This record gives sequence, structure tokens and C-alpha cells, in this order.
Amino acid sequence: MIGRIFKEGFWKNNAVFKQVLGLCPTLAVTTSAINGIAMGLASTAVLLCSNFVVSLVKDIIPAKVRIPSYIVIIASFVTMVDLLMNAYVHDLHKVLGLFIPLIVVNCMILGRAESFASKNTPFKSIVDGLGVGLGFTFALLILGGVREILGNGSLLNVTIFPERFSPAIAMILPPGAFIALGFILFGYNYIEDKRNSGQKSQTKEQ
Amino acid sequence: MKDSNFKMVLILCTVAAVAAFILSLVNMATKEKIAEAYRQEFLSGLTAVLPEYDNEPDKTILEVKGKKVYVAKNDNKTVAYALTSTSPKGYGGDIVVLIGVRPDGRINGIEILRHAETPGLGSKINDESWQKSFDNLTAKDDIAVKKDGGIIDQFSGATISPRAVCEAVDKGLTFITENVLEQEN
Amino acid sequence: MAELILLFISAVLVNNFVLSRFLGLCPFFGVSRKLDTAIGMSFAVTFVMTVAGIITWIIQYSVLNPFGLGYLQTIVFILVIASLVQFVEIVLEKISPALYNSLGIFLPLITTNCAILGAAILNIQEGFSFIQMLVFTIGSALGFGLALIIFSGIRERVELADVPKYFRGIPIAFVTAGILALAFMGFSGLVK
Repeated sequence: MIGRIFKEGFWKNNAVFKQVLGLCPTLAVTTSAINGIAMGLASTAVLLCSNFVVSLVKDIIPAKVRIPSYIVIIASFVTMVDLLMNAYVHDLHKVLGLFIPLIVVNCMILGRAESFASKNTPFKSIVDGLGVGLGFTFALLILGGVREILGNGSLLNVTIFPERFSPAIAMILPPGAFIALGFILFGYNYIEDKRNSGQKSQTKEQ
Repeated sequence: MKDSNFKMVLILCTVAAVAAFILSLVNMATKEKIAEAYRQEFLSGLTAVLPEYDNEPDKTILEVKGKKVYVAKNDNKTVAYALTSTSPKGYGGDIVVLIGVRPDGRINGIEILRHAETPGLGSKINDESWQKSFDNLTAKDDIAVKKDGGIIDQFSGATISPRAVCEAVDKGLTFITENVLEQEN
Repeated sequence: MAELILLFISAVLVNNFVLSRFLGLCPFFGVSRKLDTAIGMSFAVTFVMTVAGIITWIIQYSVLNPFGLGYLQTIVFILVIASLVQFVEIVLEKISPALYNSLGIFLPLITTNCAILGAAILNIQEGFSFIQMLVFTIGSALGFGLALIIFSGIRERVELADVPKYFRGIPIAFVTAGILALAFMGFSGLVK
């Protein structure tokens, strides 16, 4: 049960690959693998906390004001993450910049609050938050990694290509981001299709 | 009907109030650390462009024609001035340069504080070795890229960025030479 | 005056909100399948962005800053935007039910459009005066609309083309956006 919730959030319903949500931070900060991971973890932290709190107060808040209330709750956690990052990981905060406060409009967070946390127990909501958040982080890691390797010849700041390698700078720029994600989505669709047809032929044999 | 409307507004206001309260606590807890982080950031830029000092240049400020000039002292003697200078002519927008100038009018060092240049191309203005080519220049020298008749290297495929840096450095150096150094003499 | 014109052109073309700053992507991909929905969305976003920009700018400088409440910026701004969108929804339903229906779910989603919150925050970060803020906000909104409409026109055509199986729909849309972003990069260095 817990495993299912986590797996679905992580892969089958992946925020970026499947639901195509949270695009702005995904494309903007993935100029390197580290930046991608940082943004992913920051968003996951907010998602965990907001899912938990929303699940706790779901019976107190009238249906009509739930969206504004959820927004206030999410915005509060985003502000907390913003302040804490500015204080304790100042350089990372500078790099992620504008996109930290923009976590509040990451539709993935409001989406989970509305479709899961408001209808499930706090514990399940935390698991869901972990699954979706880590799936999001995973997506950012992949995109950031690809862009960093092709555009900078390094991964996690470790140069992996020899000096003669001329990086495709376009990968670090906006066009590269769009195109890289397009190909990654192509890959995801391909993998999913193969998995699904594999399962179908299994059930046919049975 | 009115009851539930009132209840809705009340709940929303309560949520907002609780949120604001908790945030004010977090804010108080982190305020100093954040201010300190910004200060360290600026100080490390200053240290990169100034010679050895024993005062606090970011707090020793001369206001000259509306511009802030930071003064570095060693043993109570002024060893250098620092100021920021901006050129809007960067490829991606403003480039903000921090310049350290010694009392003899020569540049001690420069540091790029802010830029939006193309990574891998114009962003080479961040290279320390390139920035060293500004060392010891004075306001009388021709601070320009080689293409424009000066002595500063441009990068193949990225002339605009170094050109903008030259403009910023020239502007700042001229300002401080005319308004500070020459006043002292 | 010249400075304002440069600011405007920079906001629309050089630092295009969608293709250069990565703001407003969800509606960019969500609404661009049909040209008329794209046009309707552009108008709605322009309106909300401008009004939100004005209100948040005023609040920041007359309430948040004087009272040292800068850390409440995110909450206050997003609440202003959410209320504004709610208001636009109500008005639009009365004035033009057709547009209201064709925009459908995307209208309330303007709240989570990072372009609007992004513009509001950028206005403060860049320290714009009121006039500069107006020019920048309207320019950015128009830039968003421009990119959205162009992209939508292209997508309508791509739908009719023979796209490889796993690229269909979203993946090919991303590759298309990348090429469009590449084209817009040609505007860099326009503002000298």
C-alpha cells in the first residue's frame, strides 16, 4: 500500500514526465545536476510539509475557502525554505534565485494538496509527498545531468570529458533546455509503452 | 447563509494569521544570519580587489557625488579605494564591476559582481587571469579591447562582454581619479 | 524616454518571459493547441499581470517595506493574484460566457502561472519606479502573448504532420519550443 503510493508518485505519475507540471523551475534551474537536485529537494521539503499540514486541517477548512487556504499554507512553507536557504546555504540560494519563491506556484504542490492530501491521512500524505517530490527531484537530476554533461563537459562539477571536448553551450541555454526535455519525454513515453505492452502480453498468456 | 460566509472568512483569516505569526518567528531567527551572509559576499569581493587592509572597508564609506566609495586602510593609512561601476552594454544586460584603486591612481584589481553574459563565451570575463590584464592601469591609459585600439584581450566570438567591462572600468576609474584622488592632492 | 523604450523591447523580445526566462511555461504548453484559446489566454494574462503588478508594487512600497515585513512578500503577492483571478473569473463569466467556457480550467490556473508572480517579484528585485514597472510588466505580458500565439500557430501545423510515435503531443512540442527559443536568441544584443 505504502509502496504503491510511493511508486505511483515517483514514476507512473511523475510530475514532470507524465503530468508535465512544474515546468518553470524544471527548465530554468537545470543548468547543472547540483542545481537540479537542490531545487528538487527544496520543492520536496515544501511538498512534504504542505501535504502533512493540509491533511491535518482538511476537516476544519470549509470547501469553498480550501484553495486560498492551501495557497497560504504552501506559501508559508515556501517562505520558510527561502529564509532558511538564504541563511544557511547562501550561495545555492543565489543561484536558484527567483525560482525559490516560485515554488509556491509549482502546480505539482497545489495539485497534490487538492487531489491527495485533502482526502487522505497525514501518514499517507507524507508518503505521497515523498514519492511525488523525489520523482520530481529525479526528473530534475536527469535533465540537469544531461544539460551539464553536454553543455559543460562535467557532472556534479567534476569534469569528465577531455580538454578537446567542445561543449554544446546551447544545452545550458534556453533552447537546449526545451530540446533536451523533449527528448527525455520521448524516452519516458517509449519506456512506459514497452512496460505496458510487456504487462499486457503477460496477462494474455495467463 | 451569512453565518457560513462569516465562518469562511474567519477560517481564512485564522490560517493567514497563524502563518504570518510562525513566519515572523522564522524571520527573526534567520535575519542576522542572512544579513551576515550578504555582508560576507560583498566583503569577499572587496578582498579580491583591495590590497591588505586592517579596517572594515564595507563600513568605511566616502559619499562622493552620490556614489559610495569604500576605503581600505592599513595602519591608519589609506591603501586603496573601491567602488562599483555599471555598464548597460553587456550582451545580456547590466554588468556590475567592483574596482579597487590605489592612491597612485593604479588599478589594484577588478571583480565582476553581476552579469548575465553567455555561459562559456562572454562569461569568460569571470576568469581571474583575464581580469588581471586590468591591473596597474590608470585613467590615462586606453582601457579598451584590442579591436578598439586598446590593450585588453577580447574573446573570439565574444567581443561585447569584454568591451562592456572596459567601459565600466574606465568609467569607474575616471570617476575616482577625478573626484577622490585629485582632491587629495 | 529612450530608456523606457529599451526596457519595453528588452522585456518583449530580448528577455522574453517564456523563451528566455522560463516563466509561464505551464499555460504555454497547456493552452497552445488552439490559436483562439491562445489569444484569449494572452489577453487574460496581460490584464491580470498588469493589475497584479500595480497592486503588488504599491503594497510592497507602502506596507511591506515600511513595516519591515519583506518576508511576507510571497504570501501577500500570491493572495493578491489569487483574488484578482477570482475576480476576473466572475467578471468574464458575465461579460463573455463563450470565452469563459473556452478557457475552461485554464482560467483559475492563471493563479499558478509563474509568469504573474514572477513579474511581480522581478519588479521589486529590479527596483523599478512605478512607470518602469508598468512598462516592464506590460512588455513582459505582451512578450508572453507573442510567444504563445506564435507557438500556437506552429503547433496547429505540427498536429497535421507525420510525427514519430513517441514524440507525438508533448515531446515534439518541447523540441519546437526549443527551436523557437533559438530563434528568439537572435534578439540578444538588440538593445545596445
